[in-house]
Amino acid sequence: MTSPHARARLARMKPQQILPRLARKGPERQAIEAGEIDAVIDYASGNVILLPAARRALLAQASAGNVLLAALPDAERWRLHAGLERVALKFGEVLQEIGAPIREVYFPLDCVVSLRTQVEGRHALEVGLVGRDGMLGISLALGASVSSARALVQGAGMALRMNAMRFREAFRECPSLQLELLRYADAKLTLARQAIACNCFHTVEARLARCLLMTADRVRLGELTLTQAFLANVLGVRRATVNQAAGPLQARRLIRYSRGTMRILDRKGLEAVACSCYTGLKRARDVD
Amino acid sequence: MSRQTRKPKARGAKVTTVVLLRLYVVGGAPNSVQAIANLEAICREHLKDGHRLEVVDVLEHPRRAMAEGVIVTPSLAKLSPLPSASIVGNLSDRNKVLLALGLTSKAQ
Repeated sequence: MTSPHARARLARMKPQQILPRLARKGPERQAIEAGEIDAVIDYASGNVILLPAARRALLAQASAGNVLLAALPDAERWRLHAGLERVALKFGEVLQEIGAPIREVYFPLDCVVSLRTQVEGRHALEVGLVGRDGMLGISLALGASVSSARALVQGAGMALRMNAMRFREAFRECPSLQLELLRYADAKLTLARQAIACNCFHTVEARLARCLLMTADRVRLGELTLTQAFLANVLGVRRATVNQAAGPLQARRLIRYSRGTMRILDRKGLEAVACSCYTGLKRARDVD
Repeated sequence: MSRQTRKPKARGAKVTTVVLLRLYVVGGAPNSVQAIANLEAICREHLKDGHRLEVVDVLEHPRRAMAEGVIVTPSLAKLSPLPSASIVGNLSDRNKVLLALGLTSKAQ
């Protein structure tokens, strides 16, 4: 993938403004009039001018996979689109480090990012999940410039990435984006409060079931790559404890767990095992 | 007998000649997607392995597109064998594309 700086600048222009620039009986003009053209390159400005149908299609594609972007009006999505770059994220990739400046924000399309905090520099605990319902780098919208958590890709997939500076500009200029992100931040706060209570009062088996369901809700694929070490960090327990909790779920054919790959076999059954926090949290930010 | 059953060769494209094609598109845009599909079908049918197709996304490589004189996308350029040719649009008019590429036989 090329650097975003090498990408074309996109411009908005109506076909009526473009047509006079082209030869009256030239093939380019005829093809535009026949609706067979997606874009015109403006040599004077160096811009690529997308024609309306192509613009609508690209906007719909770019934002359809992310709930936050899909909720924005067209004008704001267009404003964001110029700065968004589609990237493939690999399992285990670190996107942000604790205390490091946030250089980019991510809008997941079908990947899941786990937010980890550390105690005494070694004990990692998952404190949040970011999927297609949200955005990684929400702290920028709240005025912070450094990350308070380590962001680790838990489910590989695609995301839209934006440079932090361009995101700040877009955030200032787009009222609907501001509203959506503040709502999202509030939902994250609710989730964090609930998670504290859940970690104190619920069994590991119930929390494991909740964790698996929440991860599955945020990806479109049926299979999840979750090693025991990974789940131990998520739940804040030892690997042996994860094994003890996953065993009964597998024995009851609710999940199939093999070599770090997990598949939910019986969603309803797993929901029955999960603690009540799952339905409460799902209501706080419905991802469906 | 064998001469009668042999398929007529496409004019301008010898079996050993590799046709070099470059298609400029906007990745994911409807006409570009259609142009890629149409061109691949034409190549499969008329050129088989005797072609090389490069697809260039003008959003990723705007300078290259400008350096090569592209005005609109989709836009197809035949680079070799000479004479070079170009055609714009979603390439749904198969005869027009074959004519531009020099692949039509008199029988067609």
